[in-house]
Amino acid sequence: MSVFFGILVDGVSYGMILFMISVGLTITMGLMRVINLAHGSFALIGGATAHWLTSEMGVGYYAAVPLAVLATMMVAMVLEKVFYRKIYQFTELQQVLATIGITFLCIATVNYLLGSTILPIKIPEVFTESISLGFRSMPVHRLVVIVMGLVVVVALFLLLERTNFGIQLRAAVDNRTMADALGIDTVRIFALSFSLGAGLAAFGGILGAELLPVEAYYPLRYMVLFLVVVAVGGMGSIAGSFLAAIGLGIIDTAARYIVPEYGTIFFFVVMMLVLALRPRGLLGRI
Amino acid sequence: MKKLFAALSAASAIGLASAGPALADHTVKVGIIAPFSGPFAIWGKQFQEAIEVYVAQNGESAGGHRIEFVYKDSGGPNPSGTKALAQELVISDGVDYLGGFVFTPNALAVAPLIDEAQIPTVIFNAATSIIVEKSDYFVRTSFSLWQVSVPMAEWAYAQGIRTAAISVTDYGPGNDAEIAFKTAFEALGGTVVDTIKMPLATTDFAPFMQRIKDQSPDAVFGFLPAGPPSFAYIKAYNENGLREAGIEFLGTGEMDETTLEAIGDAAIGITTAYHYSGAHPSEMNQAFTDKIDEMFPGSVTNLASVGAYDGAHILYQMIGAVGSERTEAVDVVRGLAWESPRGPVSIDPVTRHITQNVYIRRVARDENGRLVNEEFDVIEAVPDLGLVEN
Amino acid sequence: MEADIIRHKPAKRLGGIFSRRILLDICLISAAIAFFFIFPNNLGFMTRVLVMIIMVLSLDLVLGYAGVATLGHAALFGSGAYAAGIFAVYISANPLLGLVVGALAGAIIAFFSGLILMRATGLTLLMLSIAVAQVLFELVNSERDLTGGSDGLLGIDMDPVLGLYAFDFYGKTGYWYALAVLVVVFILLRVFVASPFGLVARGIHASPERMRAIGTPVYWRLITIYTLAGGIAGIGGAVSAQVTELVSLESLGFNLSAEAMIMLILGGIGRLYGAIFGTVIFMTVHHFAASVDPFNWLFVIGILVLLVVYVVPEGVLGLPEKLRKHLGMAK
Repeated sequence: MSVFFGILVDGVSYGMILFMISVGLTITMGLMRVINLAHGSFALIGGATAHWLTSEMGVGYYAAVPLAVLATMMVAMVLEKVFYRKIYQFTELQQVLATIGITFLCIATVNYLLGSTILPIKIPEVFTESISLGFRSMPVHRLVVIVMGLVVVVALFLLLERTNFGIQLRAAVDNRTMADALGIDTVRIFALSFSLGAGLAAFGGILGAELLPVEAYYPLRYMVLFLVVVAVGGMGSIAGSFLAAIGLGIIDTAARYIVPEYGTIFFFVVMMLVLALRPRGLLGRI
Repeated sequence: MKKLFAALSAASAIGLASAGPALADHTVKVGIIAPFSGPFAIWGKQFQEAIEVYVAQNGESAGGHRIEFVYKDSGGPNPSGTKALAQELVISDGVDYLGGFVFTPNALAVAPLIDEAQIPTVIFNAATSIIVEKSDYFVRTSFSLWQVSVPMAEWAYAQGIRTAAISVTDYGPGNDAEIAFKTAFEALGGTVVDTIKMPLATTDFAPFMQRIKDQSPDAVFGFLPAGPPSFAYIKAYNENGLREAGIEFLGTGEMDETTLEAIGDAAIGITTAYHYSGAHPSEMNQAFTDKIDEMFPGSVTNLASVGAYDGAHILYQMIGAVGSERTEAVDVVRGLAWESPRGPVSIDPVTRHITQNVYIRRVARDENGRLVNEEFDVIEAVPDLGLVEN
Repeated sequence: MEADIIRHKPAKRLGGIFSRRILLDICLISAAIAFFFIFPNNLGFMTRVLVMIIMVLSLDLVLGYAGVATLGHAALFGSGAYAAGIFAVYISANPLLGLVVGALAGAIIAFFSGLILMRATGLTLLMLSIAVAQVLFELVNSERDLTGGSDGLLGIDMDPVLGLYAFDFYGKTGYWYALAVLVVVFILLRVFVASPFGLVARGIHASPERMRAIGTPVYWRLITIYTLAGGIAGIGGAVSAQVTELVSLESLGFNLSAEAMIMLILGGIGRLYGAIFGTVIFMTVHHFAASVDPFNWLFVIGILVLLVVYVVPEGVLGLPEKLRKHLGMAK
């Protein structure tokens, strides 16, 4: 029984990281119909900034995290203006190529500035301690991840269901032309939600750095992982991404516990099964 | 005649270290193939820095031959690209010797080529035992996983460890390490309670830790590639309470000097068996690390550095003795013994693999507060046990 | 999309343009022959380019003609490479037989994975194709005894081509061999593309619904095309295995799939020539950028890729047309 709970707890915390990083991707891909392979770059920018702030500038963790997230959102704003506005009109293939190009530039920049080795983020002492859950112990940072993941879910829910911005965003996702015609400033909505997605990726990237270590090649290393979550969850569906991330997190963790040597195969076979049965993902609408 | 010439120039090489460039009348080129781009770029950097330090310490020539290094980027594991690079180096750059090689498939890909073109090739890293058997022109200055895993098993048994779990990354070197440790440990009477092969792409190790903890062995032997996997593994080892439960971690190259600072305090006290520590206490190593620090501030020395440094030494010996008359060059270094920054070493005359001490080390902070692998026990003159025992 | 069809269709019917194409083909082949003599020191690299062109041509068939965007083409290339390699080690080292085996392996994998893939579109299709390649990658890695795992498949020692030309250390035979295979593949593709079946592929690309409406079994047609592309990619893999005499896991890797796609889009999809130019440009730039400053070459590739998408979205082959339009307007 404790094995079962152990897998559950590890799987959920792993899934939460996947969720936080991928949820921004599902928003942008669902909203803007962009195949965005550059999404991991924002987690990298956030992580690298947090590394630089904590290790080289001596900024404390609690200040560094919001600063790094804000910095990433600003970079995302600029990139959105410079590159993505045009990308929206591209064909699927050109989107793939353009976003890979942007990914390359991000990697090259981080590589140039900070090198190709791991960029550790100094976390507070208390994060590395273990706490007992009765049936097993667990590092605090994993618990933090679970809690913050839930906070993000609730915050996103409130943002989308209870605010004007949320209503406009949902309208734009459902039908951009109609939203435009109704006088919603979709250009602004796009820019804001894009940078929101990037900020979430940065936040997830920083919190998850203990499990998915930050280094220059991060966006390529985990690109497939994040895309899997979006595809399985369904583009544009936040609830779908949540289900997919937690589900895949638990399945992946269980597979690694029980049949480690076939762990990766298992993960991809599950994904193929889901997509073969539900080509639009669990909760996808498009 | 050739032998006489070789002997003569070998003799002159010894007296040459100081005479240096004055005698240089003819240039011998050495091609170094290593990753200088991509996620493994650190390897190329470590190689090049060590070679440049060796050149700075020993001059640019040997035996009247000026030595020039030509660097080529192989990227990651990429046998077809590596083979093309080797062809290019030999045909168009006119190199007489090759060196470098981080990945096993890359080294294996050039074996037929160096046989045909008779190019002595010094492997600075690629550690699968069989490589040196694939061509008589290979000499290796790194290590093999058998070479370090067996001493680890023997040391552990001597410390009273009787049960162990094995967790290795599921690829060539990981499998070598697993078989080597298991064979040696069971031969002594130890019991391996579980063998876990972890996927190469994994960086979340909590499930494996949980599985190991559930079986409460005396120790867990691990092998992981340096970089993100080692980083995340050691963190997971600490945080999942294996250390508290008294399950000792036994490893080999996980505490690599280039990732040690990133792992931080979590690394303190971790025990590994390896052939080189950046903190090896010897004058030679001090001179080596000081020079690295002087020429490349902020750089540290690790297994890649010492592999390349000793590789340069081998190349200097061969070139000093025979210059570009390279066909018999490998014979020059068979049985060659010298002092390396890692301690006393020699080239096995039969296998052409390096025989060296294996040190048992523990991570600690030195007087400057830097994390280092502190050697506290040694198993002397270990050959490549993979070649001996298979 | 509509415009594409209008532009392409007459080209097929007009003899004049067709013969102009043949002229271009002759130029290309002459250039390939000339390169052998101009760059005798880089045969290894140029052989890799030829092999990659075969792979990218195969991708063009799927992506450019049938409009099916996949990111797992390495699955087909790698299957061909491993099949040809294992065949050479255990059964026969005859290169031509090896090509047949490679083609079959690529085609078989394409057929069975196609049964799932060809039902999907968009992101789902991309992810499924990645998954197929990843699963094969893991299988090859775990079947160490047969494949050599991450050490690579060892022990390939090819017989001379046609019993006459041994693979030599300078890579001369390798170059001619790869070039000959490429020319045959290219002619085959040319014939296929011009055939009624090729037109069906274009039709599916333009509008699957309309093709379905006129009674075309779209799904099975796509599987046929994918299987054919699998055979061609398998041939590419086989040549790579035979020339390198080693097969490694990277031939099934995600990077290879992604690079092939970049090369194709760079050159321009749906024209066959795009595959050739895109591959040559990408690999040459990579080769030189990496030898000048390997640590930062990714900047160069990133900028190149972005330039192409933003300036000539149709790919490099769209450049002359764009210039012509530009000049025409100036008049």
